[in-house]
Amino acid sequence: MSEVRLAAESRTEFGKGAARRTRRAGKIPAVLYGHGSDPKHLALPALEFARVIREHGQNAVLTLNVDAADSELALTKTVTTHPIKNYIEHVDLLLVRRGEKVSVEVPVVLTGEAQPGTLVTQELSTVLVEVEALHIPEQFELSLTGATAGTSWNAGQIELPAGAVMVTDPDALVVAVNEAPSAAQMEAEIDTEGAGVVEDAPQTEEPAGADA
Amino acid sequence: MLIPRKVKHRKQHHPKRTGAAKGGTKVTFGEFGIQALEPAYVTNRQIESARIAINRHIRRGGKVWINIFPDRPLTKKPAETRMGSGKGSPEYWVANVKPGRVLFEMSFPNETVAREALTRAIHKLPMKCRIITREGGDF
Repeated sequence: MSEVRLAAESRTEFGKGAARRTRRAGKIPAVLYGHGSDPKHLALPALEFARVIREHGQNAVLTLNVDAADSELALTKTVTTHPIKNYIEHVDLLLVRRGEKVSVEVPVVLTGEAQPGTLVTQELSTVLVEVEALHIPEQFELSLTGATAGTSWNAGQIELPAGAVMVTDPDALVVAVNEAPSAAQMEAEIDTEGAGVVEDAPQTEEPAGADA
Repeated sequence: MLIPRKVKHRKQHHPKRTGAAKGGTKVTFGEFGIQALEPAYVTNRQIESARIAINRHIRRGGKVWINIFPDRPLTKKPAETRMGSGKGSPEYWVANVKPGRVLFEMSFPNETVAREALTRAIHKLPMKCRIITREGGDF
């Protein structure tokens, strides 16, 4: 993964009012922490940061020029988005050093089409990998071309780049190709017969003589 | 229909309708999902109706997940009853849905058919919704 340069500004005022002012100015409130240093509160340019995430994925490694002075290497740890409006509300950045190994969630992307009459179920959309900070893979691809019912892939079957270690349990199921359920099986998915309400006695009793 | 097996209290206060969903705002199990855009009480009948609408359209070859559960009872007084004499009897079971919450998810090989099935399900629900995908929208 290539390094991306981004200009950042220090934030001097905090709280939701200040965060909203930052967002209105076309910036994203962010925090940079790690290696036992004091957290730094930053404002990132919203459009540029969104482009970085779009092009390099959620595990982008950034070279931050804070106030056009010192340069810091940072990994995006958490990107908080608005649940409906789909814009970035806040970013957590983790300070990293060259050659340092980090644990990151790398997406697993399925390519190709399984055979007709099958249903592909992806149990894990990401796998946890320990890898050098500057060589984080953008994604792992699994080809489903021609996969028949009964085929499955575990985390251990994913090809890793040199130097990377799988942290997720190698036996964890990632993708399963099963026979497509019939119409009758889909109708019977919910057990409606066993759904009866059984009520407990109220836990606290009214004191004797209490006015109703 | 979905109903809790056991409840601690038969009658509860009305659930709060303010705010947005805190979790369950992304598609995690399937490929497509229905996301609420408004707050609403979704009854177990509406959930069942939407589920049937999806299943009848895709017929076979897909999988549907229901991410909400109607665990809140709503009470109602009988018609033409004078006020007073206590709280009414439980009438509905509802899920308290807040904006952003993903209600249903599904996996299906054909995207056009999947979107049509989810559109039919949205018509059974009491609020504005939209269809989202696992990849999510670009920022």
